[in-house]
Amino acid sequence: MNMQGGRNHKKHKRHKRAQRFLCFLCFLWLCPLSVFGQQGLDPSLLLEAPIDAWPTYHGDYSGRHYSSLNQVNASNVKSLSLSWIWRGNFTSAGAIVGGEGTDEFNGPGVVKAIPLMVNGVLYFSTPDNAFAVDARTGRTIWHYFWKTRGGIHIGNRGMGMYGNWLFFETPDNYLVSLDAATGKERWHKLIADVKQEYFSTPAPLIIRNHVIVGMGGDSLDVPGWLESRDPETGEIQWKWNVTPRPGEPGSETWPDAYSMEHGGGMPWQPPTYDPDLNLLYVPTGNPNPVMAGQSRDGDNLYTASIVALNPDTGKMVWYFQCSPHDTHDWDATQVPILFDAVWEGQTRKLLAQVSRNGFFFLLDRTNGKNLLSKPYLESANWYLGVDAKGQPIRNPEKDPQIAGVLVSPGSSGATNWPAPSFNPSTGLIYVGTTQSYSMFYLTDTDPRPQGYGAAERGAGNAGSFLRAIDYKTGDVVWKRATTGSAQGLLSTAGNLLFGNDGAGNFIAYDPKTGKPLWRASLPANPANAPQTYMLDGRQYVVVGAGDSLYAFFLQQ
Amino acid sequence: MRYALTTMILILCGALSLAAQPQGGRVPQFEQAAVERGKSTFFVNCGFCHGGNARGGDGGPDLIRSVLVLDDEEGKQIGGFLKVGRPDKGMQAFPNLTEQQVGDIATWLHSEIYQAANRRTYQIQNIVVGDARAGETFFNGAGKCNTCHSVAGDLKGIGAKYDSVTLQGRIVMPRGGRGGGGDGALPPGPLPTVIVSYPSGESTSGELIRITDFDVTLRLASGTFRTFSRRDDDVPKVEIKDPLQAHVDMLAKYKDADIHNLTAYLVTLK
Repeated sequence: MNMQGGRNHKKHKRHKRAQRFLCFLCFLWLCPLSVFGQQGLDPSLLLEAPIDAWPTYHGDYSGRHYSSLNQVNASNVKSLSLSWIWRGNFTSAGAIVGGEGTDEFNGPGVVKAIPLMVNGVLYFSTPDNAFAVDARTGRTIWHYFWKTRGGIHIGNRGMGMYGNWLFFETPDNYLVSLDAATGKERWHKLIADVKQEYFSTPAPLIIRNHVIVGMGGDSLDVPGWLESRDPETGEIQWKWNVTPRPGEPGSETWPDAYSMEHGGGMPWQPPTYDPDLNLLYVPTGNPNPVMAGQSRDGDNLYTASIVALNPDTGKMVWYFQCSPHDTHDWDATQVPILFDAVWEGQTRKLLAQVSRNGFFFLLDRTNGKNLLSKPYLESANWYLGVDAKGQPIRNPEKDPQIAGVLVSPGSSGATNWPAPSFNPSTGLIYVGTTQSYSMFYLTDTDPRPQGYGAAERGAGNAGSFLRAIDYKTGDVVWKRATTGSAQGLLSTAGNLLFGNDGAGNFIAYDPKTGKPLWRASLPANPANAPQTYMLDGRQYVVVGAGDSLYAFFLQQ
Repeated sequence: MRYALTTMILILCGALSLAAQPQGGRVPQFEQAAVERGKSTFFVNCGFCHGGNARGGDGGPDLIRSVLVLDDEEGKQIGGFLKVGRPDKGMQAFPNLTEQQVGDIATWLHSEIYQAANRRTYQIQNIVVGDARAGETFFNGAGKCNTCHSVAGDLKGIGAKYDSVTLQGRIVMPRGGRGGGGDGALPPGPLPTVIVSYPSGESTSGELIRITDFDVTLRLASGTFRTFSRRDDDVPKVEIKDPLQAHVDMLAKYKDADIHNLTAYLVTLK
């Protein structure tokens, strides 16, 4: 840490400590004392940039994936080296066992979560598993295993924490709460029906005494919703339906009540939150039937949208639709990144999304007004332009056809769910992208198509890149070829951008140029963004790859 | 050390793991005879209201999306329901259906649900709708296909070698990509070739297996693998030639009609 940086850091910390204390007093007044213990989460940590903790999926509420830590920096990163490796046991052997099912899913364990770090302990989950791991040594403290009733075990983004309590979702759609100290289950609550092809991957988001829970599943045509649950009891506080009901705003964008009720829109990405505006920013999933749109004429609100909700009531305040009438499974579940920055000469409260359909969107997050819509993917060929609201106008000729249409990006998108990163020092948003192409074939020509309703065949790739996008213009300032596509990223005040090349190299890049400054070759490619924290005066950088976690620090 | 500006893109095959809602889980087995019997029994007894395909009609709801059907286990819930019906909504009871008939209907409904929910099972329809003559013109003209290919040479009989969907896939990108699995799996296309050379004059060539900013791996003509570290002063020099580059370049140029016409033309090359 440089001296100037150190003084500012200390001053900043004193100020933050005072802020924290005030918030803590408020929280004491609001909450029962029982939630605080030695291992518990100081809730004020959720209101500031992460330093000695990583208390929520995105590190803080903003979704920036930015850390103000700079002990590891561009001048010393070449000395960054391995601290420890944790390799998971994803079976019930030796674990605390829970669950409503009888099956043990013993598939390959892949850590797609971003681990929380609170008071020296990492907490994270994979499908049917939850772990507490010593953040200093990488040793497992406890392991909780969930016996499943089924569901798609594609991944799990991680956990939410409230006081001493942890929350995670299961593939068979239960919200499970554990005691962080012991890993013992407090309760579990059913979110959705696995037999209707719902499955749940998001990391719950904690806002005051709300546990915000979403789900996924679009194999059949079922409706999506977001709900808030009480951290004490697990009972539902509110539920927001992604698709409207007859007579509600947005219902005019569907042909009938039946299509709305089966319209999908799964909110399967952890939302972001602005405490000052008290607005929750929810990116929603694709409409159903997924690729056959003939039974759902219209824009299909509020699917493939960014929606602002009041987290206390679940009431919608505004929306912006990224892909009206999506027919390519793109959804809009990329991270709504929140930051305050200059726009046309004034500091504004902004929201940026690098969307899966190949567009970069910049919104005023107080009201959802579009400031900028710009394609960042050269190959995107599905739109005719942008309307007065800044929403792309789709080219209906690129909807799936019986004889096939060539569309870029393919359904995996120009980017996807792994977290991008915003660095306030560079003003750049970093994102993993791919110029994929697919042939889309309409297979279900019935007036009432079901499920996806179309087949997709991959048709190649014109190039994958890590891109740096200027939020003011939407221009790609630099890009660097990778063998991957979407990827999780982390910016730090140490003038570093941590990411990967898709080929198993965990890399620290120069955020201004994209030049690699350091790398570690791992047995598997990182599946999500790394996180970082200070512990005992040392900065750790932790990333999940394959069935393992890898922690790095500067050797002393 | 200067890192190379370009990292070659190798999407050689297989699916990316980034699907929004990918498929997975166990594959249920349906007794085909029961499926056929169930379909017939359903059509006779239920099709008038629910439609012959169970997707709903004027008098009855879509049963592929029915929560009762989705929750059913081996006909138990469906059988119980059929005994009493739902008279308040105009749904009569079917007490005379035998246990086997109910089980057959349930099997057929569950197989239909499985077909709807699992996109790998979807059947692509007839895609040969283009103009073969226009396809031939494109082949020899704007598409420049004849620059590398010959209908009397490497493409002789290609219309008999592949089904039309596979053939279309090979036209667009012989290497495939996401979604190329299942019934539509494409045979692997040729790999890029690479020459790795040092200022000393030492040079090695082979098929490109992997390249990053830090290393490059080749498969030599002998079949052995060899990896070279890369430095940031552009040493060794790495020259890549992708035999499919023309296909990659065409991705941004094709009109869908070109693809349809080319397909219609090449399927005639029996």
